[in-house]
Amino acid sequence: MKLIIFDNDKSEFLFPLTYLRPSFELKIGFDSLGDKIERASGDFVGKAYFVRDILAATVKERNEGVAVNDSAALSGDDLLVVDGRVLVTKAFALPDGDCVAKSGDDVVLAKVSAATAATLPSGSVEEFMAAAAEKLDTVEIDIELMAFPWDLIIHNPETITADFDAMGKSGIEGNMHPMSCIYGPEDRCYIAPGAEIHPTVVIDTKNGPVYLDEGVEVFPHTRVEGPCYVGKDTQLVGGKIREGCSIGPVCKVGGEVEEAIIHGYSNKYHDGFLGHAYVGEWVNLGALTTNSDLKNDYSSVEVKIGGETYDTGSTKIGSFIGDHTKTSIGTLLNTGSSVGCMCLLMASGAPMPKFIPGFSWFLNGRFSRGAGFKSLLKTAHAATSRRKRDLTEADVELLKAVYEQTKTERSKLIRRDSLAMLKK
Amino acid sequence: MKREEILAKVQKITATILSIDEADCTEEKSFTADLGAESIQSVELMAGFDADFDIEMDEDGALSCNTVSDAVDFIAKYV
Repeated sequence: MKLIIFDNDKSEFLFPLTYLRPSFELKIGFDSLGDKIERASGDFVGKAYFVRDILAATVKERNEGVAVNDSAALSGDDLLVVDGRVLVTKAFALPDGDCVAKSGDDVVLAKVSAATAATLPSGSVEEFMAAAAEKLDTVEIDIELMAFPWDLIIHNPETITADFDAMGKSGIEGNMHPMSCIYGPEDRCYIAPGAEIHPTVVIDTKNGPVYLDEGVEVFPHTRVEGPCYVGKDTQLVGGKIREGCSIGPVCKVGGEVEEAIIHGYSNKYHDGFLGHAYVGEWVNLGALTTNSDLKNDYSSVEVKIGGETYDTGSTKIGSFIGDHTKTSIGTLLNTGSSVGCMCLLMASGAPMPKFIPGFSWFLNGRFSRGAGFKSLLKTAHAATSRRKRDLTEADVELLKAVYEQTKTERSKLIRRDSLAMLKK
Repeated sequence: MKREEILAKVQKITATILSIDEADCTEEKSFTADLGAESIQSVELMAGFDADFDIEMDEDGALSCNTVSDAVDFIAKYV
């Protein structure tokens, strides 16, 4: 059976996290949604992706040998076609015959034989799924759909625990200083080879497992509370890593972090609180950058996506920060903030606006285009090349395309604030 | 737009953003060395010129304007 994972326009409800990646590359628990879909799919032979056109070149580049947006993949084999927004932590339990599964109105999975596939339209994966839904029986399966950014935050703690159990590892294979301790069940902790735990570190497993991957270094005066996953070569540099965090690989994180997902190569080195937040790759949060994750009236948090405001239904939601964004010292992010990719935020003493379009500077309390796209790109090249992960031509083209895609929402705010500045 | 009109606007915007007298913003003055613009204010000057003239200047070119006169000549290409 061939596995097909798809991303489409519905992933735009996951902005700003999906500007530069398909939904199935979003991290939750120990790894990505796509990794979990692959594990849940069992023994498949061959894999293909369908993604938004804007992402095709970068996804192809990152996945050598995998067909991307090739409609031929929708025929010729038995197929398991899965929406990349699906969160699944156990093997798919599917009947023998052809079937589809839905989440609300969305057809999120189709299992079809090669013979059935031959009768379905293969022009696009959306047409294929719609036709499959009309033709085949619908089954109930144990999945969650990550339709909005906050869904990832809400489901992260239980996903870390499920991934820890699925991994089946515990014990200390790295170096743990005798003056550090595991507080709680020791079998709910795994310290991988090459990990280094300094004196006075407390790993609290009372409420969930802690998995410290290879090459992780935990510096003195750090408390790591489970459930927690820390990815390869990440440094925890002191502070409180509270429950529900997935961090790394190759991050440097300190201060207070709670129920947050931080993609690779991002840093939050200093003091400051990050809670119920999702941070993209190559982000740097300056010292004392802090987000609110609870409103003073305890009401449900709202988040703006694509010009619309959505009620998250949760009272605990922090911020969503796109890839390559940088914040200055003392930046204050409001409850339910959405910050686009490649932004540069400079603190003015007041909380930032809740919606910050990609590639914008926020400077002296005003939106600005700053030194422009070329300057942002130069900074991104500098950041990535330091880690020997320099941007490729496809990455640059994607950034240019997203810059254009976000231009209208950005220009409107920049012009408004620039005119206001001249009237002062 | 005539050069003197552009100059008058540039002087007014510069004075507003840098909080200095308009009369000090003569053509030969350097934004940084003479008028005291810091790097962040250079960005604000560019934003101010963009907004007031309703143009979108090339960032590299705009930020390489050293003097008031340079800015006037650069903006003249857009208006």
